[in-house]
Amino acid sequence: MFLNSWSLALSLLSLVVLILIAIAVRTAIKVLCSWDPASDSNRQIRLENETWLSSTLVQYAMGFQIMSLILFVLAADYFSQVISGAMCATGSLAANQYGMPTLQLKLLGAFLSGFWIILHAFDISSERYPLLKAKYIALICLLPVLAADVVSQTLYLANLKPDIITSCCAVVFGEGGESTGNLLGAVPQGALLTIFYGLAALLAIAGYFLRKNPRSSLLWLNGLVWLLYLGVSLVAITTIFSSYIYAMPYHHCPFCILKPDYGSIGLLIYGTILPAAFFGISAALAEVIPVRLGIKEVVHRFQRMAVLISSALLVLFVLVVSYHFVLYRFMGGE
Amino acid sequence: MMSFARQANIIDYSLSSLWRRRFKSLGVMVVFAGVIFLLASFQMTTKALTNAASDILAFAPEITIQKMKAGRQESIPLEYKEKLAVILGIRAITPRIWGYYFNETSGANYTVLGLDPFSMPLGDQLGEAIDTGALPLDHEAVLGQGVFAELAGGGDAVIFSLFRPDLSLKTFSRAGVFKAETNILTYDTLFMNLDDARDLFSLPADMATDLCVTVANPNEVQTIAKKIAALLPDTRVVTRQQIQKTYQGVFGWRSGFASICLLTALAAFIIFAWDKASGLTPEERKEISILKIIGWQTSDVLTLRFWEGVTVSTVSFVVGYTLAYVHVSFFEASLFRPVLLGWSVLHPALRLVPSVELGETLLILCLTVVPYLAATIIPAWRAAIIPADSALN
Repeated sequence: MFLNSWSLALSLLSLVVLILIAIAVRTAIKVLCSWDPASDSNRQIRLENETWLSSTLVQYAMGFQIMSLILFVLAADYFSQVISGAMCATGSLAANQYGMPTLQLKLLGAFLSGFWIILHAFDISSERYPLLKAKYIALICLLPVLAADVVSQTLYLANLKPDIITSCCAVVFGEGGESTGNLLGAVPQGALLTIFYGLAALLAIAGYFLRKNPRSSLLWLNGLVWLLYLGVSLVAITTIFSSYIYAMPYHHCPFCILKPDYGSIGLLIYGTILPAAFFGISAALAEVIPVRLGIKEVVHRFQRMAVLISSALLVLFVLVVSYHFVLYRFMGGE
Repeated sequence: MMSFARQANIIDYSLSSLWRRRFKSLGVMVVFAGVIFLLASFQMTTKALTNAASDILAFAPEITIQKMKAGRQESIPLEYKEKLAVILGIRAITPRIWGYYFNETSGANYTVLGLDPFSMPLGDQLGEAIDTGALPLDHEAVLGQGVFAELAGGGDAVIFSLFRPDLSLKTFSRAGVFKAETNILTYDTLFMNLDDARDLFSLPADMATDLCVTVANPNEVQTIAKKIAALLPDTRVVTRQQIQKTYQGVFGWRSGFASICLLTALAAFIIFAWDKASGLTPEERKEISILKIIGWQTSDVLTLRFWEGVTVSTVSFVVGYTLAYVHVSFFEASLFRPVLLGWSVLHPALRLVPSVELGETLLILCLTVVPYLAATIIPAWRAAIIPADSALN
């Protein structure tokens, strides 16, 4: 189902991202083959100039990738009005086997390009560009993820079948009229809530100590817990918190909370948890940068800032996501 | 990390630099706003039409049964009603007669609809769609605004006649006129009694065009539709949800098709923007090398160009989007309506209500601003790497 504005916009956006990264990768290959900081040849000066182009391209690409992620979820909601059996974005993403993988690849692409930009910022903080080769190897590794995103999205769109009344017997072909159900099955609520709030408290305490004294082992642990917490909170939003927002016990959809019908509260929820997890994980990943490169001071400054941002966003996230839940459970509803 | 003050200074400089080259910037903005206007108009018209269609369909019967023969629809015998009596959950089955009446003098096709409003659930709500007058009794009809304007010829005629297939005349009196708000459906409609419609089309007494089924529990619609399809294999069973999805699909398809056509305009604009951004005048080269001499870095010039692009896009987007809104709401999308709505002789004078939603806005943004920003990166970089000494040459 390519012939509608949403599919066109998605395809255009993904192609633009892929082209930008492909041009940047061209520079990356040249740098890896013939970078020589000692030389002052024309070739080296040209290469130095091109490194600016490649980093600008990746920064734009990351911005577009985030837009593409939001647009994809909104498009899925639109598709649910057209394809058979789908009631909301969950239904249209589950309409074929490429929907959910595309969403995950888009998220992964946005996270990875974000990590790359941090790596780049570390690199240009020193005049000797100590991470130059590492960052270009990372860039080349980013390309397959974005290419997989384009392929998966194209397959998803190609396999979407709009529900058009056929000329003979409409109902027989319009199979699957029942609601496609929910993404996740039943989860023990009490246990999940304990883990959700327990991990949040743990991360908040760890954040408080790490900001004062970023210790390597604790940072790694913190990053791992953030990764775990991202998964736990996505499951908790889907299976527990969303139905309190909809005030419907059987509607467990992680996407409808983005709709204006529910005050677009989802934008605030995902706009806090995703960046919070991003900074929490990147503070840990920054530990891989060796001390001998002489940019430890920059890295430490970034880690402190990242821990602060992730803790602040975590508090905001827990407050926003718990609002309807607390209102219903302890104050008797709206 | 650049500080906010530094960013603010660069934005300040970029605005003054755009103002210095105001004619060049204005040229790009006018063309860009035009492209955004075209795409946004289409998207808003589609959205408004879909909303109008789904608002109206909310009152359609849950299931419609049509008899098919050799792949074509034909009249359905009323005895089929009895066959469906075994299905529990059906609240009512209402026969309906509808068809087209060709008016030779004006060349317009009227839609004639005959049903008994008193025998179907919610039937009395039809009265709410009637502006003046009441539901039709025997030998009466309610007219759509367009039909009324044509048949009465601007006057206030009460009695008028239509031809039966054998060219004998059938006379009606006007029971009322439909409200203008329902124009998308009723503009070309003549609504009358079941028997009068049967008489006008000379249909046999035990036949109707289709059967409308009302279902008590909305969750059972799909199951009941399947049971009907199994009981009456020579029929086509259509649910309301399917009609809604088809409308959405058709409007979406048409607007997608139009968007593809408009993408050529977008491509032309991107080439234009690339060209404008690449063609550096000697003054611009001088400006950048002077900036480099006074201490600007390549990254600062790239940031400058980024803010210029964002400014141009924002202004063009706001202008183009606002114009599209005005075009759709005040001029009824007169440029594109024939493409999206069809081209019948009697055009309903629709009041389109465009809605500004986050999703639609982001969609237009992705289709227009993203390609523009992407196309200006490489020219911006070419400008940014101009060496400091080139001003001296």
